[in-house]
Amino acid sequence: MRSLTLLLLLALAGTLTAAPRTISIGLVAKSQGNPVFQAARVGAEDAAKALSLKHGVTIKIDWRTPNEEDAQRQAEAIEQLVLAGAEGIAVSCSDANKLTDAINSAVSNGVPVATFDSDAPNSKRFVTYGIDDIECGKQVMEELAKLMNGKGIIAVIAGNQNAPNLQKRVQGVREIAKKYPGITVRGVYYHKETPQDAAAKVEQVMQANPDITGWAMIGGWPLFTDNALKWEPGTVKCVSVDALPAQLAYIRSGHVPVLLAQQCYEWGKRSVELLVDKIVLKKNPPEQKEISPLIPVTKDNVDAYAKNWATWLPK
Amino acid sequence: MLSTLRSVLRFQESGLILVILALGALLYGFSGSVRAPVFERGEDGSRQRAFITDTSGERVPAFVERNKFLNAQNLAQLAKDTSFIAIMAVGMAFVIISGGIDLSVGSTYALASVLGALALQQFGPEGPGGDTGTWGIVLGASICLGTAVVCGFFNGGLIVALRVHPFIITLGTMAILRGIAFVVTKGQSVGGFPQDFRDLVRFEAGQGLSLVPLVVMIVVTLLGWLILARLAAGRRVYAVGGNELASRFSGIRVERVKLGVYVMSGLCAGIAALLSLGYYGAATSGDGQGYELNVIAAAVVGGASLSGGRGSALGVVLGALIIQMINSGIVILGIDQNYSQIIIGSVVIAAVVLDNVNSWLSRRRMQKPAA
Repeated sequence: MRSLTLLLLLALAGTLTAAPRTISIGLVAKSQGNPVFQAARVGAEDAAKALSLKHGVTIKIDWRTPNEEDAQRQAEAIEQLVLAGAEGIAVSCSDANKLTDAINSAVSNGVPVATFDSDAPNSKRFVTYGIDDIECGKQVMEELAKLMNGKGIIAVIAGNQNAPNLQKRVQGVREIAKKYPGITVRGVYYHKETPQDAAAKVEQVMQANPDITGWAMIGGWPLFTDNALKWEPGTVKCVSVDALPAQLAYIRSGHVPVLLAQQCYEWGKRSVELLVDKIVLKKNPPEQKEISPLIPVTKDNVDAYAKNWATWLPK
Repeated sequence: MLSTLRSVLRFQESGLILVILALGALLYGFSGSVRAPVFERGEDGSRQRAFITDTSGERVPAFVERNKFLNAQNLAQLAKDTSFIAIMAVGMAFVIISGGIDLSVGSTYALASVLGALALQQFGPEGPGGDTGTWGIVLGASICLGTAVVCGFFNGGLIVALRVHPFIITLGTMAILRGIAFVVTKGQSVGGFPQDFRDLVRFEAGQGLSLVPLVVMIVVTLLGWLILARLAAGRRVYAVGGNELASRFSGIRVERVKLGVYVMSGLCAGIAALLSLGYYGAATSGDGQGYELNVIAAAVVGGASLSGGRGSALGVVLGALIIQMINSGIVILGIDQNYSQIIIGSVVIAAVVLDNVNSWLSRRRMQKPAA
């Protein structure tokens, strides 16, 4: 009887010790509806699965993203995640100023924070991952100037006027445009960050300014619809950031010769990797800023690039 | 005992309180526990992690197990998150009870925020005169609240002068006010406020309990209740919402009442904006987008009738609390956020139905002849 009890106790102890530690990581993106953040979510969940196996723990991604861009809601989400027991948080900041206190408060409660896509540079986040936004704007303009042979009238489509990362991209576009005396920037056009609003803005601007011969799209919003560019391919040149599945059709049709893909799947994947290194291995990244380069997508590599989306989109 | 229960059930907001208690019990029962780090005050008074010595003699950070929902930090967080919408909802209650609607409340919040922020920035550490302290804060706060009152006056004035439905007027001012906020800030975030202002609004009692937004919410609710339920001015709001023509014939100056309710709505949006400035430390022209729907939802869940003449300040605050409890509950219970909007929509409808059933039962009880 005694040995049976001992066996039962051992079995119970075995069950208890075998239960792996659960690590909850909060993921706070800018808005639910934007497909780039859905790819980031898939990246984070894939990384969580892979790292769970590697480290013998259970990593859970807690996705807490406002329906529409709202920095106050993001700050509330960070505070709630800390109280709900998250051990790490990755956030893409809609307003760096507004999120700095919430990030600092999480860090002072022992929860490390990484930022991706859009940083809060004055906060205590231990790392940021994403593109260099000024360089992104410069690269868009360089590609466009090349396509236009350094002359023509261009317009910039720029999304939400409050987003600091987009303002930096606009700054990059303007800096390079100044290098080309034959290029005139007709205007920078902001809009609500939905595909329909963006496509409508392109149409309105083209109707009012039919002499525009080039578009610098520092975000790919209009190209998420299938008929945003109502001109013959090649008549108006266009370079856009991002290379989501809907945008790839414009490469194939010849409307957009170059897309500059942000590695949005990697935003989530890399953020989780960096956080798990910090939480499990107590390891800090070598640099506080990890730059992810833009990947040019053209007719030559569009089919190969398209295959990635089969794994990057939510199943 | 039974008579006490009966009197509680007759209380106008008892249905809402029942919903809140049911939600609280649900969250308490299903939320499970969380390991929270323990903090202590260091010798210099700073807040730092507490350490204990474990069985192997090693110093390790101390943790305490607590219910995810029912703990002081979470309840203070819930109150803080509720306060911004709840304060605006008190102002909206005045408008809705009078038979109107204010769609510009989110834009008023944004414009008051950015103008207040620009003023406070001038008196902050990076302003021309450095951190100037009290007078700078008073001026910044006055500009924030004054802007909101002017916005409310503008709404009310247009509605009264043009005799156009408030839906149309406030739909227009919603765009105008946000547009002004954008032009003024050029789309940039405005921060860098006087430290005393930040410290005042972010004052923490005990371990990380931010109670200032909660206190302000309670004060605004009490004032709203006092005006609506105890003063003649409040009774006139109900009268105008119940029957505008009859109110006019009975000598009530309907235009003045209408102007007053929109000023009140603006003022409440300004108070919420001021709290947000102090708590979050920045403002942009994009602030408060879509808040008008949250505020109207809180008012409706709280028992305010969109056809006018019915509602209360306490009810709309409880309505805001219910919506926030659902939002927080989704995080606490670890429910996939993809389902959050479906859950919130369903609970909003359920809460309104429950409240209506309770009101119907109360009316039936009152109509019953005494035995």
